[in-house]
Amino acid sequence: MLEIKNLHTNVDGREILKGLDLTLPTGEVHAIMGPNGSGKSTLAYVLAGNEDYEVTEGSIAWDGKDLTEMDPTERAVAGVFLAFQYPMEIPGVATMTFLRSAVNALRKARGEEELSTPDFLRLVKQKAKGLKIDIEMLRRPLNVGFSGGEKKRNEILQMTLLEPEICVLDETDSGLDIDALRIVADGVNALRTKKRSMLVITHYQRLLNYIVPDKVHVMADGRIARSGGPELALELEKSGYAEFGGKATAA
Amino acid sequence: MELSVHQFRSKAEQQLFDLFAQSAAALPGAANPFVSGLREQAIKTYGSLGLPHRRVEAWKYTDLRERIGDIGPLIGSGGARAGEAELEAAFGEGLAHLPAYRLVLVEGALRVELSDMSDLRAAGVEVGALAHMLEMPPAWLKETLGQVNPREDDAVLALNTALMTGGVALRLAEGVTLDKPIHIVHLDGTGAAASAFTRNVIVAETGASATVLESFGSLGLKGLLRNAVTEVKLGDKSAIQHVKLQREALETIHLNTWLANIATDARYNAFQLSVGAELARNQLYVGFDGEGSATDVSGATLARGKQHCDTTLIVEHRVPRCESRELYKLVLDDDARGIFQGKVIVLPDAQKTDGKQMAQALLLSETAEFDSKPELEIFADDVVCGHGATSGQIDEDLLFYLESRGLPEEQARALLIQAFVGEAFEVLDDETLRDAFAATAADWLGAPAE
Repeated sequence: MLEIKNLHTNVDGREILKGLDLTLPTGEVHAIMGPNGSGKSTLAYVLAGNEDYEVTEGSIAWDGKDLTEMDPTERAVAGVFLAFQYPMEIPGVATMTFLRSAVNALRKARGEEELSTPDFLRLVKQKAKGLKIDIEMLRRPLNVGFSGGEKKRNEILQMTLLEPEICVLDETDSGLDIDALRIVADGVNALRTKKRSMLVITHYQRLLNYIVPDKVHVMADGRIARSGGPELALELEKSGYAEFGGKATAA
Repeated sequence: MELSVHQFRSKAEQQLFDLFAQSAAALPGAANPFVSGLREQAIKTYGSLGLPHRRVEAWKYTDLRERIGDIGPLIGSGGARAGEAELEAAFGEGLAHLPAYRLVLVEGALRVELSDMSDLRAAGVEVGALAHMLEMPPAWLKETLGQVNPREDDAVLALNTALMTGGVALRLAEGVTLDKPIHIVHLDGTGAAASAFTRNVIVAETGASATVLESFGSLGLKGLLRNAVTEVKLGDKSAIQHVKLQREALETIHLNTWLANIATDARYNAFQLSVGAELARNQLYVGFDGEGSATDVSGATLARGKQHCDTTLIVEHRVPRCESRELYKLVLDDDARGIFQGKVIVLPDAQKTDGKQMAQALLLSETAEFDSKPELEIFADDVVCGHGATSGQIDEDLLFYLESRGLPEEQARALLIQAFVGEAFEVLDDETLRDAFAATAADWLGAPAE
């Protein structure tokens, strides 16, 4: 279980999260919605351990462990995964090399044997197929020249390969057309298990038609303003974020 | 010999001059009027210039007069071993075992028994030890030696011409295309400080093409002054990929000059990776003499400690419709200093010239220094020329991305540095060579090779 209590976070000296409380039971999928600027992406980065996001108060506990005491690498080893809204482009690093380095770094840190190149290739080919990723794409430099859809599918491929226990998806639907959205959502749904928890951050309800959450939280001004079942997302679709400080347009 | 020389200002300056006076009679080709004429002209040039110092614009950042102390004697044959084990130790596995026609220079001289002379000849290449050929130079060598894009203002080049003791001369006959690279191995020797002056000459006749790799490494000599020159004459429609790995011992002063003349519709691609030597100066002088030709002069420098690596190149467009590209990447740690001086000259006749240059440094410490001096001298009005230079640190966002996937910080940093440098390796079209260079970079970083 992930328990966030009274979380305050500063970015460049400005407070973005202002006492956020959230409980994500193991095996559940929760959606975080909210207007732009409400702090959704900040929450994602704080969970992954980005040092630009300074926790000034509160706690993030996961199965009794204090995440705030861990650096990004340690969190990844412990099972935290963030699917980035804007995946980084790294010219000069072949995607395949990156994937293998990541998988083997985690295996090594968890005391497992590293995968040989042929074993790894077999694994990647199998997982890539499900996400309709061409193996040729993985020979290209990491995310360089990838379309929006390719980048997001690559994020989900990483999530699939690294087998995390807490998945944070930061606006994974942004920039996707309906076909790409379906592929990505199918990839995410395939990873839903009783042991894996997911936090799906999105501005729009659309994604939640495909990844149906157990619970929906609405963020406003750095806190959770309202929580409810999946029907809350539909309600927001109609009414928009106006009552939460957003523009009075339908989401 | 009567010489009017300027007043030498440092001991080394005088010692270099004396080295010539003492050894001239015993140098290869001493009895040949063409060769001895070249040497005498060269020592006169040196005599009038002296060692370059910081008030000479091209040597602004690398003051040889100040940096060179005592001059050791000319390196002689001590019978240093240069077997597979030594090659592996000097260059790493990938490069040592690179499938290639190997030509091995040890202690300034070609070791025929370690070289693939007959294989190379069977492939259509005329090849010989320069020391031997200087005694009675064939016509093609006489038309080339000292005449490829010559420079009167370069004391380091002049010293090499005056004192060259060995090297190889290669002539690729018309239309010859080699199935694997020619690998010229330069190894020092063992023992006390010494000076090595080697010279290679490569002539590619019409339509010939080859990759020539020159590697520089150490067998353990302490205090080498290396002065190595290679002249490359490219005929019409020829293509030479000229690659260098400099991995000399840390006490070495490495002075290297490549000169290239490019005829019509030809291609000269040069790439240099520098990781060794206390002080390195890489000079590349490339001149276009035929239309429709192209050159890519690129490289990478990895330096730490107090290493000083200076790359200075001059590309001269003398005729229309030629293209030049330069991309240099430098990774500098500790107190290392990297210098990039790139001059592109476009003469009045060289219309439709296309020239682009970029130098990028990644600084890993607060005290590392990168000096970049691009110079464009354009005398034609219908040209496209550009240059740029950047210097920066490791991108924290990229680092976070990699760490968030479980890579430990050190490994993530190494991967980003490899990526930065790896972009420069992309100009190498030989995959084995690219992998060997990537392995060298990984080795420098202490990271596992791919």
